[in-house]
Amino acid sequence: MTKVDVREKVLSENERVATANREVFGRADVLVLNLVSSPGSGKTTLLEGTLDRLPKTVRALVIEGDVCTARDLDRVKARGGTGVQINTGGGCHLSAQMVADVLGQLDLASADVVFIENVGNLICPSTYDLGEDAKVVLLATTEGDDKPMKYPAVFHESSLAVLNKVDLLPHLAYDIGKVEKEIAVLNPRCEIMRVSALRGDGMDAWISWIAARLADKRRRES
Amino acid sequence: MHELSICQSMMRVVDGAMKSHEGAKLRRIFVDVGRGSTVEPTLLREAFEVFVSGGPYEGAELVVNDIPLVGRCRPCGRRFDYQEIALGCPACGSVDVEIVSGLELSVKELEIDD
Repeated sequence: MTKVDVREKVLSENERVATANREVFGRADVLVLNLVSSPGSGKTTLLEGTLDRLPKTVRALVIEGDVCTARDLDRVKARGGTGVQINTGGGCHLSAQMVADVLGQLDLASADVVFIENVGNLICPSTYDLGEDAKVVLLATTEGDDKPMKYPAVFHESSLAVLNKVDLLPHLAYDIGKVEKEIAVLNPRCEIMRVSALRGDGMDAWISWIAARLADKRRRES
Repeated sequence: MHELSICQSMMRVVDGAMKSHEGAKLRRIFVDVGRGSTVEPTLLREAFEVFVSGGPYEGAELVVNDIPLVGRCRPCGRRFDYQEIALGCPACGSVDVEIVSGLELSVKELEIDD
């Protein structure tokens, strides 16, 4: 019997492709945000509101990830957005390769920001780097205030937590301060925003955050 | 439930390592799986059984090293089980804590018969 020393990350192949994606995005000088949440937290609604509000100087592309249908891409197009839909056919997350496979369909050279809307799932997408600059996790008030500690990995990996659907707070037993504190414990570097993508609360702060991240990336690379 | 695709990636790593040992029989795969890695060992074992059945690795055993999620308080240095953390360090209450282990997901070594 022989021992073979391996010591290789299980997701090393995904990491390799993610690094290649990151280089493509870097050459195109685009900021890439990976939006992650449970189904129904409001990722697409946030995107709709974002497309309505982004200044003309910030041109956006969207990569939509879903198990089935192009419903989300249809909603993006209805707001004048452009992008591409990935159907995973049962897969619970996007992988770096799935993103790499559609990059040829996107005019990255004429874009400033790429939003990747991941498959609705609070667990698996946290494990797969897609080549993004930052993960943005959404958590809706309707999901309950005990979630960050129950799903720590995604908060640990995210640069920003958008607490969506704050317009419903008067109707819910939801301690938003507790949620913010739990996220701070899991990841002190994760910024937190209170948003209602539907009503518009906090959307200016979100748009400013995107613009600041874009400016920061371009400053670092120039 | 992404253990099937995790298993697929794991077996790609195993295939790569087995390339330099052509004709050898794979006996055991040792993997590190942190409790914060979002991979459930039971599901990974089930996925593994499906993957190896009927193939060249049939009969190989998957040995999972279950690594607890451990946090460390930056101000006071206390180490603690992250699963039990409520709202900060159990010793001093600080929220300035970091994860020191438990995010691992890697193939450590193989046991083969040459």
